[in-house]
Amino acid sequence: MILWEYDGSFEGFLSLVHKSYALKTIPDTITRSQNSGTLLDESIWIETDPFNSEKVAASLQKYFSKEAIERLMHAFLCDDVNPERDILLYIRIGFKSAEYLNDLAHPTIYAIHGYQRRVLSTLHKMNAYLRFEELEDKTLYAKIEPPRNVLPLMGAHFCKRLRGEPFIIHDRLRSLALWFREGEMKIESVEGYTNPESSPNEKKFRHLWKTFFDHVAIESRKNPSLQRSHVPLKYRIYMSEFFISP
Amino acid sequence: MTIEQKLSILTDSAKYDVSCSSSGSVRTLDFGGVGSVGNGGICHAYSADGRCISLLKILLTNYCLYDCAYCVNRISNDIRRAAFTPEEVAELTINFYRRNMIEGLFLSSGIITSEDHTMRLILKTLQLLRHSYGFNGYVHVKLIPGASEELIIQTAALADRVSSNIELPSSASLALLAPDKTREKVLQPLTMAKNYSLEHQKRPIGMSTQLIIGATPENDLDILRLSSSLYDKAMLKRVYYSAYIPINNTKNLPALTTPPPLLREHRLYQADWLIRFYGFGFEEILNEETPYLDERFDPKLSWALRNLHLFPIEINTAEREILLRIPGLGVRGVNKILKARRFRALNVYDLETMKISLKRLRYFVTVRGKLLVDHSLDYQQIQTELLLLPKPSPAAQPTLFDHFYPTVMGEL
Ligand code: SF4
Repeated sequence: MILWEYDGSFEGFLSLVHKSYALKTIPDTITRSQNSGTLLDESIWIETDPFNSEKVAASLQKYFSKEAIERLMHAFLCDDVNPERDILLYIRIGFKSAEYLNDLAHPTIYAIHGYQRRVLSTLHKMNAYLRFEELEDKTLYAKIEPPRNVLPLMGAHFCKRLRGEPFIIHDRLRSLALWFREGEMKIESVEGYTNPESSPNEKKFRHLWKTFFDHVAIESRKNPSLQRSHVPLKYRIYMSEFFISP
Repeated sequence: MTIEQKLSILTDSAKYDVSCSSSGSVRTLDFGGVGSVGNGGICHAYSADGRCISLLKILLTNYCLYDCAYCVNRISNDIRRAAFTPEEVAELTINFYRRNMIEGLFLSSGIITSEDHTMRLILKTLQLLRHSYGFNGYVHVKLIPGASEELIIQTAALADRVSSNIELPSSASLALLAPDKTREKVLQPLTMAKNYSLEHQKRPIGMSTQLIIGATPENDLDILRLSSSLYDKAMLKRVYYSAYIPINNTKNLPALTTPPPLLREHRLYQADWLIRFYGFGFEEILNEETPYLDERFDPKLSWALRNLHLFPIEINTAEREILLRIPGLGVRGVNKILKARRFRALNVYDLETMKISLKRLRYFVTVRGKLLVDHSLDYQQIQTELLLLPKPSPAAQPTLFDHFYPTVMGEL
């Protein structure tokens, strides 16, 4: 049983891919951990190496289609499971022949498609169910707790949607925040946290939204289980229509 | 009256209409400020009845000069009335949009003071949104039949989608129940908008209409024939079907206790889907002998059962259009098969890896030349076996099909 651990970053993972070729080894399990200190007894720590990860990234770009690279990056964000070993296998198949990567009936490739599909479906839900509140300085601020790490994919959509307005999206599960201000976007880790002050208009519009939300439903067609299948409870934490009273 | 009270009244009176239609629109206009319309509509919430909320769907006012028998807002009804100002509607829209609660606005209205006056108020709302707020999100407005061409054209120039509802599928029913309307009058503003759009815009403007199902005696064949001609001749982008919910006690309409024909509405959406995306003609789905859709089976399955001589079909060689006609295979399944079979002749195990369910498929295909069922099976037998299959989860929800991601959702 070969167990490898790495720091969870994409660079770290690419370093691990490099190691797999260098040692001619495919580990049985790959796990993420924050630092090498918590290492399990039998596992090997793979250090992130910018030089090697660059090298792997460059060959990916050379031999893989844009679509295949995007697919494995999406799969990488599927952090509710450990997709790393499958991604490693996927990369190894692709380096044999990029054409093989279209073989959907291959279990590894099908698995990668599955991770990507789940990440994109989480992204789609998050982009839809996220709610901004307006802060005192007009910045739009949203808290989220997505079941998969989709924050890195959310910036593009909201830049386009809000057309240059400043916004912050705060992933409270992973303590990350995506900032957009004056045409620049960045993701930072968030240390402490205090609830920011909302603008005076905020309460009024939340209530109006609640009014609309309640009245738009057709009484005789009430169907809470259908509603729940569309908006699972875990997405509702910050959707005010589900918790403020009318 | 507070804005909150107006919002409750004017949401209530707008909701018996199919709503989440923000899909499939491609942006043609740019107003500089906030907002963008992507290729897929987004449902930002689902109401307690499980329907997609994508747009702020309200009436500008529920005052109305007309007396359509099937409508809550008709002049002869004694109900609470309210009217928004264009400023109020614009402010609500922009504030909900920025908070990521909606994709845009769907504004309809009763006829207040006059047709022209009503059209002018709707136009004013659009002008505020587009010009004062630079709002770039989706806006769908009702065009008012009988309003002047000038106002109609100005409105169409600022909207993403315009509609005018025929409501009743035949002229006879219209004459009986909506004496102020005729099909020609209702379609006229759409013709004006279309002509303008063809001349002045890069892409023709999206236009839609709605038919009420079950209020009047037309059968499904009548309805699908009408829809097909609206798609082909009037160039409409969507026809919506709305199961009639009895609201008024009128002798020419179903009694108040009649349940809305939700399943029928659902089947019509599925048939409509087959016509628009799967290459079916309405005459293939229904004919004079069977003028109603089978409520037990979806229309593709019923079609296949009536045409068993065309089956079985070989998964590994059939063309895309043929694969699409196999019950149990949707666009997504067909795409998977087309992709994977380039590498090998697929077997049953491969289909399972790709999570393609054989439940219904197996009656209609061969896989590497082999049948998956004992094919002495006849029509009766297949039908009986299919009826024994567990029912898919609550299917009587019409708006499931009236959705974004047509390719993903269109699985029949
Ligand atoms: S014109 Fe429209 S709002 Fe007025 S009664 Fe007829 S259907 Fe209702």
